[in-house]
Amino acid sequence: MTLLSVQDLKLEYDGRIILDGVSFDLAQGELKVIMGPSGSGKSTLLRCLNRLATPTGGRVVFEGRDVLGPGVDERALRQRIGFVFQNFALYRHLTALQNVTLALRHLRRMPAAEADERALRQLARMDMQAHAHKYPAQLSGGQKQRVAIARALAMDPAVLFFDEPTSALDPLMSREVVNILHQLRDERVSMLCVTHDLYLARAAGGRVMFLDEGRIHAEGEVDELFGPNADPRVRAFFHQELRQAQTAQPIDAAQPMDQAQPAGPSGPAGLAER
Amino acid sequence: MASFLALMLEYWPQVLSGLGNTLLLAAVISVTGLAGGVVVFYLAISGGPLRRRLTEGYISFFIGTPLIVLLFLMYYGLPQWGLKLTPFTVAVIGFTLNVAAYNARYLMTAFRGLDPDELQAARAQGFSDLQVFQLVILPQVMRLSVPALTNQVILNLKDSSIAFLIQYAEFFAQMQDLAIRSFRFLDAYLVAGAVYLALVSVVVVAARWLERRYVLPGVRRAR
Repeated sequence: MTLLSVQDLKLEYDGRIILDGVSFDLAQGELKVIMGPSGSGKSTLLRCLNRLATPTGGRVVFEGRDVLGPGVDERALRQRIGFVFQNFALYRHLTALQNVTLALRHLRRMPAAEADERALRQLARMDMQAHAHKYPAQLSGGQKQRVAIARALAMDPAVLFFDEPTSALDPLMSREVVNILHQLRDERVSMLCVTHDLYLARAAGGRVMFLDEGRIHAEGEVDELFGPNADPRVRAFFHQELRQAQTAQPIDAAQPMDQAQPAGPSGPAGLAER
Repeated sequence: MASFLALMLEYWPQVLSGLGNTLLLAAVISVTGLAGGVVVFYLAISGGPLRRRLTEGYISFFIGTPLIVLLFLMYYGLPQWGLKLTPFTVAVIGFTLNVAAYNARYLMTAFRGLDPDELQAARAQGFSDLQVFQLVILPQVMRLSVPALTNQVILNLKDSSIAFLIQYAEFFAQMQDLAIRSFRFLDAYLVAGAVYLALVSVVVVAARWLERRYVLPGVRRAR
C-alpha cells in the first residue's frame, strides 16, 4: 500500500530551481534512501513533504490526502511525520525524557504519568532508558540521535524522516545508526532517509534514489545503483566521495601545522608576547 | 553620625514608609517590566517585518530617551492636557515602558544564541508558533538571560530613587527631608547610600542563587 506519493514536485526560490520535478512513492513499511551531493535539494525535499517549505508545483499525497492543497491542517500533518534532524535538535533545556514527553503532553494532552510511561517505553526501544534523566549536553552524539528518534517515535507517526542522520557522527556511530534503521525496518516502520553518506546509503539496505540538481537521476536496489551498470552521475558522485574519504585524513592532519606557520612578521611575535 | 541615626529613629515611621515605597515601586516595575519585556520580545520575533521594525523602534526609543524626561512629561506635562496622574502611577508607567525595552533587548540577544534547528524541530513536531515560543524559546532565553535580568532588578531598585523628583515619597525623598530638617546632609546621604547597598546585596545574593539554579545545562557560566 502506498503511504506517500510524490508527483512532479517543484520548488523555485529566488529564481533558482531547487527541486525540478521529483516523483517517487513510499510504500507502507518501506525504507527508502534519497542520496545525493550537498546542495542537491535533498533536505528541502523532506521539508516540502511536511510543509516546513512550500513547493511551487507538484502533488504530494500522504495517507490518501493531498497535503499541499489549501485547508490542510499543517500541524496535524506534522504530527503524523516523525522528523529526525541532522544535528538531533534536542531541546537543550529539557532532559531526554522531557524531550520525548513534550509533544505528548502539549499536543496529545496526555497526563504526565501516561506520557512518562510511553516516553520511557520509546527510550527503552532505543536502549536509552538509563539516560532518561540526562540533559542533551550530557549525552554523546549517538545517544542524542537515539533520543531524537525516540522523540519522533513516541508520537506514533506514520513515517519517519531522517535528514542526514550520520553527518554529525563518527564512523562507529554511523554503524549504530544503520543498526537502528535495520531494527526499525524489521518493526515495519516506514522511513525516508536523506543522506550524502555512501556508506549509509548502501548499508541501509532499502531502495536508493539518486538526487542531483533537484532531479532524481537513478533509482534502484543498492546493487543495481552501485553496480557496474551504474548511472554515470552516480559513479561520478561515488568516485568523488571516495576520493574525499581517502584524502580527508592527511589534509586534516596537516592543517594544524599549516595554521602554525607564521602569517606575517607580527603573527608569531604577537603570540609570544602573551 | 550618631545623632543623625537618633533622628532617623525618632522619625522611623517616615523612614520606614519611604523604604516600603521604594521596595514597592522596585518590585512592581521589576514584574511589569519583565512581563512587558517578554511581550515586546514575542512581538519582535513573531510576525512580519513591519512588526519587527515597530518593536525595534519601541526598544530604541525607550533605551535612547532619558527616563527622567518621560517621567516629567507625564507628571508635569500631561496635566496641561487635563490628565493628572499620581506619582506612583507615573513612575510605574514610565519605568515599565523603559525597563520593558531593556529586558526585551536582553531576551533578543539571548534568542540569537539559540539553535535554529531546535525551533524548526519544534515546528516539525506540530507545535504552533505560540507553543514554540512558550515551550522552547522562552524557557531557554529566560535562563540564558538570568544575569542580565537580575541586573536590571538591581538597576530598578537604585533608579527608583529618581521617582523622588516627581514627588513620590520613596526612601531617598524621606532621607532628603531628614537632611533638610537636621542640616546633616553628609550623614543623610551616607546612610542612604549604605541602605541602598544593603538592599542591592540582598538582590545580588538572590540573583546568584537563581543563576546557579537555572543555568542552562551545557552552558558554561562566566566566572
